[in-house]
Amino acid sequence: MSVAEVVLPITRRRLSSRFLRSELRLIFSRRRNVAGLLVLAAIPVLIAIAVKVSTPGHERGGPDFFSSITENGLFVALAALTIELGLFLPLAVAAISGDSVAGEANIGTLRYLLTVPVQRARLLAVKYTGIVIFSFVATLTVSLTGVVAGLVLFGGGDMTLLSGSQIGFVAGFGRVLGATVYLAICFSALGAVGLFVSTLTEQPIGAMIAVVIFSTASFILDSIPQVSWIHPFLITHEWLAFGDLFRDPVSWGGVQTGLYSAGVYMLVFWLAAWARFGNKDITS
Amino acid sequence: MTFFDRRPSARWGVTILAAVLLTAGASGIGALSANAGDKLAPRTASQLLVDVQQAKVSGLSGTIVQNADLGLPSLPGFGSTGSSDMTSLVSGSHTLRLWYAGPNRVRLSLLGQLGESDVIHNGGDLWTWSSKDKTASHRTIPTTSKDNTPSLESTAPTSPQQAAEEALKAIDPSTKVSTIGNSTVAGRSAYELLLQPRDSTSLVGSVRIAIDGKTHLPTRVQVFAKNADKPSFEIAFTSFDPTTPSASVFAFNPPPGTKVTEQKGTPDMLKGPEATAPKSSLEKHSAQADSGGPKIVGSGWSSVVVTKASLPGGSDASGGGSLTRVLRDLPKVSGSWGSGHLLQGTLFSALLTDDGRLAVGAVAPEALHAALGS
Repeated sequence: MSVAEVVLPITRRRLSSRFLRSELRLIFSRRRNVAGLLVLAAIPVLIAIAVKVSTPGHERGGPDFFSSITENGLFVALAALTIELGLFLPLAVAAISGDSVAGEANIGTLRYLLTVPVQRARLLAVKYTGIVIFSFVATLTVSLTGVVAGLVLFGGGDMTLLSGSQIGFVAGFGRVLGATVYLAICFSALGAVGLFVSTLTEQPIGAMIAVVIFSTASFILDSIPQVSWIHPFLITHEWLAFGDLFRDPVSWGGVQTGLYSAGVYMLVFWLAAWARFGNKDITS
Repeated sequence: MTFFDRRPSARWGVTILAAVLLTAGASGIGALSANAGDKLAPRTASQLLVDVQQAKVSGLSGTIVQNADLGLPSLPGFGSTGSSDMTSLVSGSHTLRLWYAGPNRVRLSLLGQLGESDVIHNGGDLWTWSSKDKTASHRTIPTTSKDNTPSLESTAPTSPQQAAEEALKAIDPSTKVSTIGNSTVAGRSAYELLLQPRDSTSLVGSVRIAIDGKTHLPTRVQVFAKNADKPSFEIAFTSFDPTTPSASVFAFNPPPGTKVTEQKGTPDMLKGPEATAPKSSLEKHSAQADSGGPKIVGSGWSSVVVTKASLPGGSDASGGGSLTRVLRDLPKVSGSWGSGHLLQGTLFSALLTDDGRLAVGAVAPEALHAALGS
């Protein structure tokens, strides 16, 4: 249905990536977005330095994965991801996705975009692809900075898994990458919610705040056992399942559920954005 | 003009349809595979008991989810959901993974959020591991040869059928045993056995045990409080694979940087082959109480265990610091027997008197008062 709609008017034309390239240029050349990525990258560096300069004997305890940092630098990335998935990474995705449509409407460029004969569904598809790419870039920024900072300060070597067994450095790095990709997919699902909210308003700030409230409220509800029936439906419920990749053997249940849930969120909220945006009067 | 341009509201229809279908799809997959399971031939309660006794698997691996909603007041440091601390099993929801390859190769992992505790029994070694504080303990235990496990031939001279009949007869005065058709556990068809206390003073309404249709292992135990439609305690396999897991699962070498404590002697938990039985934790309470020379008041489901509590008294501020704080939060009660603190749950009540006696039972607090007074 939507596919037919996109393809029909442009059947004779090759689907060009120009629109997407310009969208990506827009995202990654904005100074506020670059500053945001720098802040994301600063956290793992901060963690690595803080653990390095702390007096020996204090390395036990602390947040998850902290106690393992001194043994293997890869854990800096995991500690940073764990800390940032609560607020910083959702905030970054909210900023981009909330801005995606509402931002253009706000500064009055949306109608120009649409006067160039661009199908609205295609505009949403390109906007969402941009959001997904940003989610991956943001999450990779955190984990790769973490890996580099960790390797510089603590070195690599074998990685001790949660189950107490050890795997080689390359395999460990592979698992860190796997966890990063999993989280990036989770954040992309939040980006779909952001895209939808962004079509509701012409105030990008309002959309961003709404998305942050959405993810934070989801975290809060997830911690209240009295509403446990709602937990499987929460977008954040399986985010921490990335830790299951560091068991031996890997426990796939949570990750599978998380990927399914992310897929549902992506599809449903992209469709909602399409339903809302498709017949919306663009006045600015 | 496409269809959706002419009928813009149809877009919302598509969106809602997708949401409903995909949400239902998640639970639908489970329902579908349940239908795919074999229809089980009907079996009586005593036949099922024989089946369970004769059940023999060479190996299995699976995921177990335990839910405890015992109606206890939330105590600091106890039972936070998602904790990988073994003591947290008292309440909340927990996921465990079990690997079993004969009596000498068992591994149980408690999966916490970003943490894990393991108990690994591999040949003559018994390891415990906690990822949170990076500690491991090791002890050497005598290997039980495969034939040494209590087999029916050696323990029961009668046929399993007779043994089951006798077992049924023994519990019959206190408990009504019946079957209630089939259910699905971990995507596999299972029989369900229903145990109902005949004693109406017990807080336990019923106990349901699901028995796997193929392997005849108990795969789910649910304990319902009286008049409750949801189980207060449930432990069940969510995935169940009756194939022998690979040997590497049971290998454990403490990683560098681990504090390893060496222990001696045989731990209580290995004295019986109960590591595989999901309901073992239910019986542990009474088993532990045995050592303190307890007095049992009443019988069957309404029996109350009165024992001298070996807990540090209130005067010992250093040892029982957190415990006395917990106790202070519990409601104070008194009767002809003195005064104490009451812990009341949906399935059991416990009363710790000020003079150090502990009364526990699956009964209402009034029965504890009566037991302490007797």
